[in-house]
Amino acid sequence: MKRRFASIWFRHLITDWLTIRRPELSNKPFVVAAPLHGRMVISAANAIAEAQGINRGMVVADAKAFLPDLEVIDERPKLAEKLLKAIGRWCIRFTPIVAVDNPEGLLLDISGCTHLWGGEREYLKDIVNRLRSRGYDTRMAIADTVGTAWAVAHYGKATPIIASSCQLDALLKLPPIALRLEIDIVERLHKLGLKTVGSFAAIPRSVLRRRFGEGLLLRLGQACGWEEEFIQPLKPIVPYEERLPCLEPIRTDKGIEIALQRLLEALCKRLSGEGKGLREAALKCHRVDGKMVQIDIGTSRATANVTHIFKLFALRISQIEPALGIELFVLEAPKVEDADPVQEALWSNRTGLENMEVAELLDRLKSRDASCSIYRYLPDQHYWPERSVSVASSITEKPTIDWQADRPRPTRLLASPEPITVTAPIPDYPPLLFRYKGEVHIIKKADGPERIEREWWIDKGEHRDYYYVEDDKGQRYWLYRSGHYDDDQSSQWFLHGFFA
Amino acid sequence: MGYTELQVTTNFSFLRGASHPEELVERAVQLGYTALAVTDRNSFAGIVRAHVAAKKQGIRLIPACRLDLLDGPSLLAYPTDRDAYGRLSTLLTVGNLRAEKGECYLYKKDVYEHSDGMKFIAIPPNKLTASFMLEASYVQHIREYRQALGNQFYLGATRLYRGDDAKMLFRLHQLCAQLDIPMVALGDVYYHVPERRELQDILTCIREKCTIHTAGFKLHSNAERYLKPKDEVERLFRQYPDAIYHTEEIAEACRFSLDSLQYVYPEELTSEGRTPQEELVRLTWKGARKQFKEEMPEAIRKTIIEELDFIQRKNYASYFLTVYDYVRFARERGILCQGRGSAANSIVCYCLGITSVDPSKVRLLFARFMSDARDEPPDIDVDFEHERREEVIQYIYEKYGRHRAAIVATVTQVRSKGAIRDVAKAMGLSLDAVGRLSGVISSHWDDHIDVEILAEQGFNLNDPHLRKVLELTCQYMGFPRQLGQHTGGFVITQGNLHELCPIINARMEDRTNLEWNKDDLEALGFLKVDVLALGMLTCIRKAFDLAKAHYNHDFTLANIEQDDPKVYEMVSHADTLGVFQIESRAQMSMLPRLRPKNFYDLVIEVAIVRPGPIQGDMVHPYLRRRNGEEEIDYPSEEIKTILKRTLGVPLFQEQAMEIAIVAAGFTPAEADELRRSMATFKAKGEVSRFHKKMVEGMTGKGYSEDFANRVFRQLEGFGSYGFPESHAASFALLVYVSCYLKCYYPDIFAVALLNSQPMGFYQPAQIVIDARKHGVTVLPVDVNHSQWDNTLEGETGKLHALRLGFRQVKGVGEEDAAALVCSRGSGYTTITSLVDADVSLSAMERLADADAFRSLKLDRRQALWEVSALQDRPMALFEGQLSESAKEGQTELPLMTQGEHVVQDYASTALSIKAHPVSFLREKLNLLYVVPTERLSIMKSDMLVKVCGMITVRQRPGTAKGVLFVTIEDETGFANLVVWGKVYEKYRKEVLQSRLLMVTGKLQIEGEVIHVIVQQCVNLNGWLRTLSAPEADDTTKVFHKGRNFQ
Repeated sequence: MKRRFASIWFRHLITDWLTIRRPELSNKPFVVAAPLHGRMVISAANAIAEAQGINRGMVVADAKAFLPDLEVIDERPKLAEKLLKAIGRWCIRFTPIVAVDNPEGLLLDISGCTHLWGGEREYLKDIVNRLRSRGYDTRMAIADTVGTAWAVAHYGKATPIIASSCQLDALLKLPPIALRLEIDIVERLHKLGLKTVGSFAAIPRSVLRRRFGEGLLLRLGQACGWEEEFIQPLKPIVPYEERLPCLEPIRTDKGIEIALQRLLEALCKRLSGEGKGLREAALKCHRVDGKMVQIDIGTSRATANVTHIFKLFALRISQIEPALGIELFVLEAPKVEDADPVQEALWSNRTGLENMEVAELLDRLKSRDASCSIYRYLPDQHYWPERSVSVASSITEKPTIDWQADRPRPTRLLASPEPITVTAPIPDYPPLLFRYKGEVHIIKKADGPERIEREWWIDKGEHRDYYYVEDDKGQRYWLYRSGHYDDDQSSQWFLHGFFA
Repeated sequence: MGYTELQVTTNFSFLRGASHPEELVERAVQLGYTALAVTDRNSFAGIVRAHVAAKKQGIRLIPACRLDLLDGPSLLAYPTDRDAYGRLSTLLTVGNLRAEKGECYLYKKDVYEHSDGMKFIAIPPNKLTASFMLEASYVQHIREYRQALGNQFYLGATRLYRGDDAKMLFRLHQLCAQLDIPMVALGDVYYHVPERRELQDILTCIREKCTIHTAGFKLHSNAERYLKPKDEVERLFRQYPDAIYHTEEIAEACRFSLDSLQYVYPEELTSEGRTPQEELVRLTWKGARKQFKEEMPEAIRKTIIEELDFIQRKNYASYFLTVYDYVRFARERGILCQGRGSAANSIVCYCLGITSVDPSKVRLLFARFMSDARDEPPDIDVDFEHERREEVIQYIYEKYGRHRAAIVATVTQVRSKGAIRDVAKAMGLSLDAVGRLSGVISSHWDDHIDVEILAEQGFNLNDPHLRKVLELTCQYMGFPRQLGQHTGGFVITQGNLHELCPIINARMEDRTNLEWNKDDLEALGFLKVDVLALGMLTCIRKAFDLAKAHYNHDFTLANIEQDDPKVYEMVSHADTLGVFQIESRAQMSMLPRLRPKNFYDLVIEVAIVRPGPIQGDMVHPYLRRRNGEEEIDYPSEEIKTILKRTLGVPLFQEQAMEIAIVAAGFTPAEADELRRSMATFKAKGEVSRFHKKMVEGMTGKGYSEDFANRVFRQLEGFGSYGFPESHAASFALLVYVSCYLKCYYPDIFAVALLNSQPMGFYQPAQIVIDARKHGVTVLPVDVNHSQWDNTLEGETGKLHALRLGFRQVKGVGEEDAAALVCSRGSGYTTITSLVDADVSLSAMERLADADAFRSLKLDRRQALWEVSALQDRPMALFEGQLSESAKEGQTELPLMTQGEHVVQDYASTALSIKAHPVSFLREKLNLLYVVPTERLSIMKSDMLVKVCGMITVRQRPGTAKGVLFVTIEDETGFANLVVWGKVYEKYRKEVLQSRLLMVTGKLQIEGEVIHVIVQQCVNLNGWLRTLSAPEADDTTKVFHKGRNFQ
């Protein structure tokens, strides 16, 4: 079978994508720029900006000089490649062999695919229309070779479909750059007046080789089909998902449990095979009546432990209403993280947060009662006590800084400080006694003050002078005075925490 | 008992201190301090400013420094006397020279070696251990310091409200008692008022490259590092009164003041045991005899005696000798130089050869600039050829040694744009917002931020975060950011320089510079000499060399024939492309109006097209008076003496200052201060105070308020671009010399100018066109005829022909050119013979691009075809065998059109002598009724015309609000376009993007000055594209896009 290739060229890949995401950009000029040698250089411009004469490679400052309201967006590294991969995967519906053609195109091996669409013209039209309707300015061409398809997609002016074995004819009128040549060779050809492929295609190969090297001949050969060219197809990604259709609709809890068990075993096998563990999972039950019921679970650390996950689901199975019966079970793991299987084996010996049983207990507590909130706190880099800790996202998260040991902090910090009345000498001595919840505490020992200023970029207000005090019963407290003593008003005092 | 603050970090500890030294001193005075130490990190950069401020406010500054050591806790060091100061400065120099610029590597050992006569305080540690003890290693270091430094050593203690202050003080006190060290109270001051904490936090973020949200514990927890009232510090240390007492003890011991630094001139300036004055007198008369031959006029003799007498009184002889010395060196080496500045136009300098301005042409009495009353040092800047200035610099280093000569620093200040960028970034704004903010803040608005424009840009001014950004930016502007190298200011001393001021490594290799800038040095009475670079001098020297070689004329700056009417005639027709100073668009349109007739007119011409006179609205009154359209009158007799030479209109900086003195009752010192306050921004308050004083003073003496305001505005204009008469006179000489060369030797002038590029306003293309207009034959680059430089060949008519050199060809290096010329012999006949001469293939290809193989009967395309086949030439063993390419058949290459050739010429050499690109489009332009520029002069004013040409210059002077001046060029000449603000807004894109621009506009003819007032613009870049084949890429890029000037 004759091979056929398609080349897709996204003329404004990055800017189209931005416009899709931010529709307000659609009718104004904007560019994407990245710093280069200390200057912001444009790496992509949308069609409107291009019409105003702004091109890639231009310095932003120059462009802004004549288009002051030009919007400049920072370039995200590798974005183009990511986008191409995503679009490429989407294209797999048209052919299984799709390759990314950096920096702004895709290559499709469409051999034997087009008849399903009723011919190449319809095939091409369908792809281009779909991409255009999503917002991508697309050009596409089909030919026997990658090279010719590429050349026609980028530089062709006539038909985008090149009949079999007609590559050379299609190329003759195109500029040399359409052959994907290195830029200095293109320049040299241009200087010599060889401005179309046709102007040099007939020159003896030895003459060409001597002057332009092997590269030119290779590219020419590839385009014409004299030389083989290979493309590297994208691999489709398979989601972490298991399906179990049932012969008979399932209506009992027991039945659901069996289905869940099977699905879990399959999924966890795959997970541990890939060195992964799940953090979230969902069991979707499709019922005969066309409705779908779902239960979700979450874990504190990545796991592929069937028993544990099963237990988490088991607590919820009663929530599933099978009604007339469930005909399809789907188990999905939307959030998957790397998990070290060796580590799993060693878990049992570990203590504290490393202990798997603690993590599993937490999972079970949480999954039993959704309103039950168990938080873990980590130190945060703020002097202001209320902000000095933050909630950890998982049980294994490591603190980025050490707990501060050089400044005394209470074992129990009140969420909001409670006002107290004190007797204290001015201006900044610790109190002699304080009254808290009706009880008077005589202070025996005290240290301080530690002055903590507001974080001015977050809020405004008085600073606090903290004292670390011990009363006559040997209990220790963290007190503070808000602000300085003023002449006219007495300062407010608060109790903010208890030491062990 | 008193307290003296001994630990103060100013903003010269870059990105640490958050207050200017002046602010700290002022605050100290308000709080009743009588002395203050400044302790920047490993640096003396801020102490002179602090010293000057302290002196003005009547308190004592203790120069000191914080030594951050690589192997021990930091020490504060306080020199007690001059010698100790010298040692401390030497110590810093040692550390600086070990490290990269901006770093200082010091070890304990270094400190011990230089410790005599100094007091030291160790900085207390940041925190105690978990068991509330001092770190053992810290104790160990302190023990060692105590042993090494004995009773010069103190231990510092701070109260910063860290919570454990009491414990820390207790531990430190324990340690002091144990080791018998006195304890000293320190404030650890970073800012003068607590409100500056926010800025200090931001500086920390900038330094640590994080944002305020991520900075965390890098910031301080409170605002306690401000300069505290004395009684507050005494209260905080009430349990340790000794600590307070010891601050006083140290302050009393350190009586050294920067005032006692004595500047001593180097000794080797004199010969045979003469005193400097005797030497100067001898050299002056010797020079006088040479300059004036036998017929020295009596007036000159008298002036020389007066000047020498004045120099003796002020004790400036050594200064003149210093300058004379390196000028003499330059002359011996044939390096062209020219002095300027207040003292440079003295007859003494003329006799010494420092300046070539004939004193009889401009009677610039130097006492006029240097009165006895004003005690300012003389000022002589010497310009050298820019290509050879380095020789002079190295001569100075060699003669005096690096320990005695160094370049002055410049303190780079944070300007608005950089400030807002840094602050906004630190405040966590997105890169996009940072970019937009800094884009709004044009460098022109350096003293305030235009709030309205921000609002227009979509910033919400009610957003407190943004307001904070702006507020902090305003505080941050004007902060010193780094120490740079002055363009050419040298300090040379008799003794070791590093005992006066620390020396640091400069970025440039083989350069060292001081930590102090020129203001600091001036405040201390150090003299600096300026060794500057000037491109035009290079050009003139090259021209002189060519004149010697081709016309056998021995020109010098001094012997060029003066007052040649033909030269002035040329200048009056604004035929000044490429000459010094008066080549800009604005200057050119002034020339036909001013019609200079003598040297002094040139002096005025140089000075008049400057921001000062333009802002002061002095230009038109002067022109009217000169052309007899307005009566010349003087507001008073005293003003008449000042303004007579400029027809009653103040044009020079000196005149404006003299008016301030004579008419507004300023003292000379005040007038000088006024000028300075204009130059340094951030002194708005000062300026308005002076404004009031000036206007009141003048109206009080009966002058009109209008006149007073104008003089003041002019002073304002001078502030940033000071242009005194003495400089104008020196420049005028170079103007005259370059005009003379252009007038009589356009061939030489063009070659010299091309060989000195990049320089001035114009591109090689324009220089060549101009040369051809003056009858110079220009020959193309050719492998058999060109040198690296552009050269002159045999006479064609009256002039020599200009042969373009390889330096015009893009991508050809000097080495390749040298190889080519060296083996040329009687000429190349084949391409391969060039390869044998070791010319690189890439250079050959570039030469082919430049169409330089015509003498081998190859056009550029054929040459390139041949050159590209050279890659597989038989080498080594096979050398000499026939190449494959010899066997290949003929390949037909497409012929190039003339238009294509011109495009390629521009691409390769940025000019073409084959034709002007516009000439190919003339037929098409005729169809649109576009007029060739040469015909504009025969048309009538106010006519509507269409012109079209390549843009050569766009200029948008700050003085002409919103107006853009564009010069376009076609095959017949130039047209000067004026684009008013509104039109510019409409056609911004066309004006800025076009290389080929067509405009419709109204013709404005005023004598020889022709302008087209633009109404409509069309970008014709597309037409340029048609010059080469249609399939080509964007060939417009090969044409220069025109130069933009502010």
